[in-house]
Amino acid sequence: MTNKRLKYAVAIISGILFISFITGFDKSKTGLTKQPQKVPTIGVLQFVSHPSLDLIYKGFVEELEREGYKDKETIHIDFQNGQADQSKLSSMSQQLISKKPDALVGIATPAAQALANQTTDIPIILGAISDPKAAGLVKDNNHPGGNITGVSDQSPVEAQVKLMKELLPTLKTIGVIYSSAEDNSQSQVDRFKTVAQKEGLTVKTYAVPSTNEISQMTHVMTGEVDAIYTPTDNTIANGFQTIVSIADEANIPIFPSVDTMVEEGGIATIGINQYDLGVQTAKMVVDVITKKKSPSDTPIYTFQTGDLVINEEKAQKLGITIPKTIKEEAKK
Amino acid sequence: MIVSTIGQGILWSVLGLGIYLTYRILDFPDLTTEGSFPLGGAICVTAITNGVSPIVATLLGMIGGMLAGLTTGLLYTKGKIPVILSGILVMSALNSVMLFVMKSPNLSLLNQPKLFSLLSFANLPANFDVVLIGLIIIAIVIACLLGFLNTDLGQAYIATGDNEVMAKSLGIHTDKMKILGLVVSNGLIGLSGALIAQSDGYADINKGIGVIVIGLASIILGELLFGELTMIERFIAIVVGSIIYQLLILAVIKLSFDTTYLKFYSSVILGICLIIPELSRKFGNKKGGATND
Repeated sequence: MTNKRLKYAVAIISGILFISFITGFDKSKTGLTKQPQKVPTIGVLQFVSHPSLDLIYKGFVEELEREGYKDKETIHIDFQNGQADQSKLSSMSQQLISKKPDALVGIATPAAQALANQTTDIPIILGAISDPKAAGLVKDNNHPGGNITGVSDQSPVEAQVKLMKELLPTLKTIGVIYSSAEDNSQSQVDRFKTVAQKEGLTVKTYAVPSTNEISQMTHVMTGEVDAIYTPTDNTIANGFQTIVSIADEANIPIFPSVDTMVEEGGIATIGINQYDLGVQTAKMVVDVITKKKSPSDTPIYTFQTGDLVINEEKAQKLGITIPKTIKEEAKK
Repeated sequence: MIVSTIGQGILWSVLGLGIYLTYRILDFPDLTTEGSFPLGGAICVTAITNGVSPIVATLLGMIGGMLAGLTTGLLYTKGKIPVILSGILVMSALNSVMLFVMKSPNLSLLNQPKLFSLLSFANLPANFDVVLIGLIIIAIVIACLLGFLNTDLGQAYIATGDNEVMAKSLGIHTDKMKILGLVVSNGLIGLSGALIAQSDGYADINKGIGVIVIGLASIILGELLFGELTMIERFIAIVVGSIIYQLLILAVIKLSFDTTYLKFYSSVILGICLIIPELSRKFGNKKGGATND
């Protein structure tokens, strides 16, 4: 009996494969026989939910609406969230591609890689990838040359270091805490190190394998550095409250790279507004689906400046006086 | 779409076979899996990006997994550390080993040759390269496993899992058998990690999270749907179970459930599968869970 059932199962699977194999030869491989649709379809794959990435998606959807593409009316947005489970990303990518979208959007590196691996002809727009070239997504950040382009979330490090020196004239040693498990962080930390050392600061780096080690690492850090810098990093974003509470005890200021983290207990930053990243991603998607631009010759968009954000309450607590010029510059 | 899912199922089934060797035959919960799986991918992708041929790179990934299993086995038998703890120790140490190998947490294979591009000359319909290569590998793996289990050594291995005290009294070196099991099992897990990394197009140190569930799912589904089987049928059932699990996940995604809660759905699916035999016994239904595709 049982034996029979297994035979049936194998026969069914073989049958499906055989039929697909026969019909697979008739169709063109990539579904280029697309009929023009009235409503464009966009497939979005987000790697995981956390405040920064969710804000990118929010900015993306709202900007599309402003440009006249309202979800479910004048555009169809197909959204999948991998929740950090990489084994599901490739199934989700296939699901998005099976709807024959006009463009795909990958939010965070693993999501973008999963999409890039599945298609070489549907345009892919990257949201929030620090260095697409390093992640192996494009040949060159200025001349992508394939079906991929997008927005880099590389923070304006030069401006950030300048801000630190203005707020803390006596600053000598700065500690950087970042995740050793994320591609995004490594390239940012390297850039920060180069820029800060040029400015005469000593940089100490502290890599953590996961959120569980943040507490220990921050305790070590607070004894060795004058200030803390955090890159745009999912692990650190998730464990940021731990860093804040320990740094507060030791009266050490934190300079994050993301504006939302200033509100959560950092002191100040010149950061890229995550919402704006989403807005820029949406603009690029619109350019691509209206055939204004093609991904292969659209350079990766990098923000040159960011918003200056200050947490004045925190500055008072730490006894840091904020120069007038900076106060005026900071957007309220 | 369905073909690529079947292809994924075939590649994941190598993991199921690896877990079966320890989980079912030796009754070991081996947690090395979540480290040896991404390790296989990390070694394989690093080798390919350094110009090694995909076939050799895939084998290197498998060897990496074997070494991980060996470490766990030695900690367990020689160091007398409980097997769960040994697995956890090795799993978390491998996180750093992968960083050392790849020099970064994530490495892409874009525009690099893969094992599946060996078939590019044949101009097959989409995704059939994965299915064919997967089937060839599965055939080789199952043949090797059956060959091994039918030798004296393999019989001794099964005996160790059945009754360790008896096996010892027959003069079987049970410790050696356990090490052997962990080595072969994690070799297969590393192999499947190498294959999945190539089909996904990148290796990542976090790829191991949750893979034990996928492996157990294929074993459980195979047992549930097909009941008592001979060894060869059992292995084929694991492959079928793995394919069905991937199809179930696809169904969940296809039915436009909110994928944010995907892990919850996959747990529910597995839970239901485990409850079905009990339910059918209660309600006198002779069909112990038909496929619900």
